[in-house]
Amino acid sequence: MIHTIAFYIFAAMVIASGALVITARNPVHSVLWLILAFFNAAGLMVLVGAEFIAMLLVIVYVGAVAVLFLFVVMMLEIDFAEMRAGFVKYFPLGVLLALILVSEMILGIGAYSAGSMHLGTADGVGTPLMGESNIRSIGALLYGRYLFLFESAGLVLLVAMVGAIVLTHRERGTVRGHQNINKQVRRRPGDATVNTRPEVGKGIEL
Amino acid sequence: MVDLTQYLPILIFLVIALGLSGLFVFLPMGVSRLTGAHKPSKDKLAEYECGFPAFEDSRHQFDVRFYLVAILFIIFDLEAAFLFPWAVSLDLTGWAGWITMMVFLGELLIGFAYAWKKGALEWE
Repeated sequence: MIHTIAFYIFAAMVIASGALVITARNPVHSVLWLILAFFNAAGLMVLVGAEFIAMLLVIVYVGAVAVLFLFVVMMLEIDFAEMRAGFVKYFPLGVLLALILVSEMILGIGAYSAGSMHLGTADGVGTPLMGESNIRSIGALLYGRYLFLFESAGLVLLVAMVGAIVLTHRERGTVRGHQNINKQVRRRPGDATVNTRPEVGKGIEL
Repeated sequence: MVDLTQYLPILIFLVIALGLSGLFVFLPMGVSRLTGAHKPSKDKLAEYECGFPAFEDSRHQFDVRFYLVAILFIIFDLEAAFLFPWAVSLDLTGWAGWITMMVFLGELLIGFAYAWKKGALEWE
């Protein structure tokens, strides 16, 4: 009973906030609606029993991806008047893209329902281990059977990191000197101070 | 199968939080609508900062370096997320699982050393 009510609430919220993502005028508001959609999708994932995916949605998508989207949206200089002026100009291109997507969906669903698409056989290797928690089943599969895919995921992350650094990092000349803690700590009082006994009437040479 | 009754307190908490936040937002609006005069005009609704009209748009362009920080955060966030199932299933995967994760951590350590050496973590 509560299960059903919760499902309908979460599902309705996902669809409503998804619709608001694409209809909101302000891109920042779109990102905020997207965050709400992620939270509700996490609720749906809990309902179908995929606890780990739900927590991952909250940690990775809400915590990191949404922040990245906000940064990207804020990095673009948004001129709302200019955005609306471009509507007529980009309208044919947008319709073309939408048509391509629709035809792809029709082709894909048609091929699947005609039976010419094989999505693998259900041999039971992906089923959760009996009597184990969700996260333990995922771990047993990911680090057992699919370990090479996991390693390649690590390589993809490495490439993403290097790529982001190469694309966005600019060498800045050392305008301000950098603090060398090792050099500071190694310095002894003898290196810094000198005791002299100048004669009367004569200065000292530094 | 997951025992969903464990999540019932969270659901109740969510419902209470939604109710309270909705109350805090809409109750003052309703009360002020009922008790005060509601006559918005152009001057009343104009934005201002400390009594002066706003000088410029509140949305500035960000430095691209924020983006780099966000990307690095996502990558290490994912790395941490991968650690949880590994840690609880280590008795099922054994040494193969342990070595897999060490290789994965090594790959990201290379990236971390690269980022450090390039000065991507420095903010002047």
